[in-house]
Amino acid sequence: MPAPPVPPEPGPELNTTGDLLHVVTADDLPPARVALGRALIWGSGVLLVALFLLQMAQSMGWMTPWFETWRPTLYAYLTWAACLCWGQVLMRGEQGKRVLFVLPAVLFVVSLTVFPLLFGILIALSDWNLSSPTGRQFNGVANIVQMWHDPFYWNALGNMAWYCLAIVVEYTIAFGLALLLNAEIRARKFFRVAFLLPLMLSPVAVSWMIGKSMLEPRFGPLARLGRALGWDTPSFFGDPVIAKLTIMAMDAWTYIPFMMIMLLAGLQAIPREVQEAARVDGASGWRGFWEVTFPLMLPVSVTAILIRIIFKLKLADIVINVTSGGPGGATDTVTSFIFREYRDRSNVGYGTLLAMVYLVVIVIVMTILMKIADRFTRPQT
Amino acid sequence: MKTHLFELAVRSALSRRSLLKGAAGLGAMAAMGLPRGAMAQEDSAALRAQILQIPGVGAGSPTDAHWQQVGELCLGPTRASVAEGEFAGVELTFMGLNNQNLHNFLFRGFLKPWEAYTGAKINWIDLAQADYNPRLQQAIATGTVDFDILEMGAPFEGDTAGRGLLDEMPDWVKEQIDMGDYVGYLQPPVGTWDGKTYRVTIDGDCHTFAYRKDYFTDPTISAATGMTEPPATWQQVNEFSKKIVGQTDPLTGLPAYGFLDPLKYQWGGFGFYFLEDRAAPYAKHPSDAAWLFDPDTMKPRVNNPAWVRAIQDVMDLVGTEGAYPPDQVNADPNATAFSQFLGGTGAMLTWWGDVGSNARTSDTSVVGDVAGFSVNPGSDDVYNAATGQWETLPDGPNVAPNMAYLGWGIYVTNRVSGDETKRKAAWSAAAHLGGKDLSLWMAAYPSGFQPYRNSHFDYAEWEAAGYDRAFVEDYLGSNLDSYNHPNAAIEPRIPGIFQYYSVAEDELVKGLSGQYASAQETADAIAAAWERITDQIGRDSQVALYKASLGMN
Repeated sequence: MPAPPVPPEPGPELNTTGDLLHVVTADDLPPARVALGRALIWGSGVLLVALFLLQMAQSMGWMTPWFETWRPTLYAYLTWAACLCWGQVLMRGEQGKRVLFVLPAVLFVVSLTVFPLLFGILIALSDWNLSSPTGRQFNGVANIVQMWHDPFYWNALGNMAWYCLAIVVEYTIAFGLALLLNAEIRARKFFRVAFLLPLMLSPVAVSWMIGKSMLEPRFGPLARLGRALGWDTPSFFGDPVIAKLTIMAMDAWTYIPFMMIMLLAGLQAIPREVQEAARVDGASGWRGFWEVTFPLMLPVSVTAILIRIIFKLKLADIVINVTSGGPGGATDTVTSFIFREYRDRSNVGYGTLLAMVYLVVIVIVMTILMKIADRFTRPQT
Repeated sequence: MKTHLFELAVRSALSRRSLLKGAAGLGAMAAMGLPRGAMAQEDSAALRAQILQIPGVGAGSPTDAHWQQVGELCLGPTRASVAEGEFAGVELTFMGLNNQNLHNFLFRGFLKPWEAYTGAKINWIDLAQADYNPRLQQAIATGTVDFDILEMGAPFEGDTAGRGLLDEMPDWVKEQIDMGDYVGYLQPPVGTWDGKTYRVTIDGDCHTFAYRKDYFTDPTISAATGMTEPPATWQQVNEFSKKIVGQTDPLTGLPAYGFLDPLKYQWGGFGFYFLEDRAAPYAKHPSDAAWLFDPDTMKPRVNNPAWVRAIQDVMDLVGTEGAYPPDQVNADPNATAFSQFLGGTGAMLTWWGDVGSNARTSDTSVVGDVAGFSVNPGSDDVYNAATGQWETLPDGPNVAPNMAYLGWGIYVTNRVSGDETKRKAAWSAAAHLGGKDLSLWMAAYPSGFQPYRNSHFDYAEWEAAGYDRAFVEDYLGSNLDSYNHPNAAIEPRIPGIFQYYSVAEDELVKGLSGQYASAQETADAIAAAWERITDQIGRDSQVALYKASLGMN
């Protein structure tokens, strides 16, 4: 790689073209230093590739086992990464140092995100049951075909649509609570903390405390209340519709505070003068809210809803703990189904594919929603 | 022994006299100092009586010092087969569980004197129960087995022994641990593959039938059900469950119910055992070892008339208004046992041994004085898969107790196979843990393990140790009868057996919620899912492994 051109010496006048960053040292790089940098990068690179190929050959059974683990390749990669960074400075001087601000992060992301993602795609396109003596077998799109014909997966996806629709109700309640907490009420600070408590609980704790204890059909206090109110046989997870609604309610109870706190922050950011001006203009309380506060809150609302949808799409812990997806799959979520497929049935290939497809679905849906939201919240002129 | 069983024993058996007796024995031993070499020559009965006094029933839960003490006293067989310091420099890795601070914690204590004597060193991998299966499966699948000695349940033998990952047990170990003493169902083929033995058994497991005695003595209930004795067959269980609708529980005054099926079967695969309890007497013919799959083809039998009848039985009860408590569809096995049965709801259920002990020890249990136990119910007739006919056996109902899970064992992996010293060391450690005398102590004190040797059922030993005889006979008797039953239903130890169970649970609950038209359709859906798993894992290898697990090769 040729050495980059040395930037011109800063003249007495302000330079408005070329490299605008101030260069501390003149990069007068001796050829030996550049060569050393190049040798470091290429040398460690060759070592990495050689080790990788050797280990691949071993894992393919082309040569007698030599390495016990893949650690040599990992160490070679770390060495190459360090040499690559060091080599930048040796070869490119000041420019190289600037590269150092970004390069380690890039390598980090590639190692821990891009590579696993590619590896994950490979697994998703494989027939890999941990109990199979043949191990992982590439099977192309067979997993996708299986998914297409899997009633459990479609049932779970359908349930997710219902769960997401519940966000509308959650949003309404959260907005109401936020308005309440934004008003001049007694013990406002106490309520702000108290309303946040459910969010601080682990969903697993919620599953056991609420789902398994308070909603216990015989002795649970809510079942007793139900009986007192004339419901003969209170059952919160027995009927498919009631079970779905109960799961929605438990999830809502946990996450409404999250939306509430976001909306409250938005409300507090609105200058009081705006409402006061509306009131002076004769707006009633409802019109003041609907035509002033609500439109002003749209950007915050959309953000809160979008983040809530992302949370909702990951709903699993409550379902796994309380209903295992039952009765008859009525409360199953995609994630809880993947959990059963992956953990209980060791079906790594298919489980990974389901997760990957779900990821793509989420990305697409969220992109569309954000586009719509963007248009929706753009200031109307 | 499970911890709660021990607590029960303590509550029921603790008396001033037995406490003093235990304390005196312990004091005498402490005064003598720890006997070492001399102990090996002592009479076995005296040794067994002596270790049962450590720390003594009623003297609190045993601690690491007690485990070491018992380990030291039971070192006799090791001294006979291994020279002092013979394994100096040998390092072994042991992977096991850390449930309830038992399992590996005990093994550490037991093996400390063994390490001191032999010179070997053991490194430990402790796993929570939930992490165990993934850790084991991933180690196998990725070829990263990093342990020499392994605590493992028999259902995983297909995944390990079936793939040649285990080391065959040397003959001297078989002699040292006296395998002939194992109860019937733990005899080969369990613990063996292709005729080779791999397992040092340290535990036993089976489902037994628990019932409320007062449901059969209450005149009003008996008038309605016509039954004054606990049911002996599933036909009687079903009849009872239907006829009792509308009656009142004699203990709680709430509505009475019959048998408690966990209609939320989804329980990580373990819920399927409860359908097996019903199906085994229909499907397990005395002339045939197989009852879940055809051994020649791996074709599932789960949709044959026997299994369909078991599913239909449950569906019939679901369709009988009031046969189950409300919300039963959300009751998993844990709920049926610990929330319903122990809480005074329902007359009968099947479960592992601990529901019996919890009946008396758990603070939430109200049925302690009225709970009875027996072998799982049988059936008036049994389906013969070979002829495709239902048969009535000449000697009465067909009984086939479900040996659910088969218990824990100690295994040695093939990592040590190439090094004879290391191999001997690993097997010596395993044999020490599965030793006949040490195992008695594990059966009698909190260890996480149940009795599994015929010699464990010598009730006089327990009585001498300070236990209440009635208690011991009550709880252990039903286990003993199941363990040694000639027609015990043994689960296939094939790779991925819990995958089959798990997917069956998913389909079963769909069927029970009316998403399939009939019991047959539900069973067909399970069978189809099982076929897919078999094809995915590899049919030929599954057939070979299934046959090997049944001892048919």
